Amino acid sequence: MNEQKLDFLRELAVIGTGHATIALSQMLQGRMFKLVVPDAQMLPFTEAADYMGGLEQVVVGIFVVISGDVRGYMACLHPLDTARLLVRLLTGQETEEIDELGRSALQELGNIMVTSFLNALSKMTNLLMMPSVPGLAIDMAGAVWESILAGAEVTNEVTVIRTKFSAEGEEIEGHIIFLPDEDDFRKIARQFGLENLG
Amino acid sequence: MAKTVLIADDTAFMRMTLRNVIEKNGYQVVGEAADGEEAIALYRELQPDLVTMDITMPKMDGITAIKEIMRIDPQAKIIVCSAMGQKPMVIEALSAGAKDFLVKPFDAERVVESLRKIGA
Repeated sequence: MNEQKLDFLRELAVIGTGHATIALSQMLQGRMFKLVVPDAQMLPFTEAADYMGGLEQVVVGIFVVISGDVRGYMACLHPLDTARLLVRLLTGQETEEIDELGRSALQELGNIMVTSFLNALSKMTNLLMMPSVPGLAIDMAGAVWESILAGAEVTNEVTVIRTKFSAEGEEIEGHIIFLPDEDDFRKIARQFGLENLG
Repeated sequence: MAKTVLIADDTAFMRMTLRNVIEKNGYQVVGEAADGEEAIALYRELQPDLVTMDITMPKMDGITAIKEIMRIDPQAKIIVCSAMGQKPMVIEALSAGAKDFLVKPFDAERVVESLRKIGA
């Protein structure tokens, strides 16, 4: 993948994740978040899970299918400890177990973050990007990754944009992952005046 | 008498959050729907003064539900509460008959302000 395309992907990730963490901050009474420099990769499908942080780590993943002018997949992944803390902050529940209400809170939080990311890109491109009803999985990263891409017609390589974010002074961290359809990714690039990416 | 509200949202957490805000401000939540079909059925049954409606929901989305509720009752007062704040969606919801559009995450004051304005 050429350097110009990677730069463009990183830029999209900064903008999108910036808006997603503003939304997260609003839901958590103004906690401040910082973004770790995002990276973008084009990877064989089979290597993508490893890139997401290893197959064995238990994570909570909230994922949606995107339809409209741009098709693709998006997910928000949190380590289990972060997910427990988020449930506590959102619901006031002091429990180790993530129950139905906790799952529902994480689902709504993930949905709002992912949709804020898409709203920001939509505003800049005038392209409609509609998220589906979010799915939620608590499992090893490898299994969550499979859930995210269940039904995806991914045959060889995927473009993955990953941004890590974390809260200042608190153990909140997560990843936002964006996998646009290749043809539709070029559509986004054209809206920014970049004709020959990819 | 307190004005009645129907909440339609697919996540239990958001229904609980909205219920707290709405009831604290003197309104009565008479029903909760988890999808568009349930919202229509509960609207017929309960005839609430106001409805808060999510857009992205299973079975039937909020836009379809707004259209159907407006067909049943052209005077229905529906406020959209959705994360999906993209312009074409806002326009579609308002032209389907929604009276206001709140983009999640919203703060409590904004919800109350909308209920007051639309419910007046």
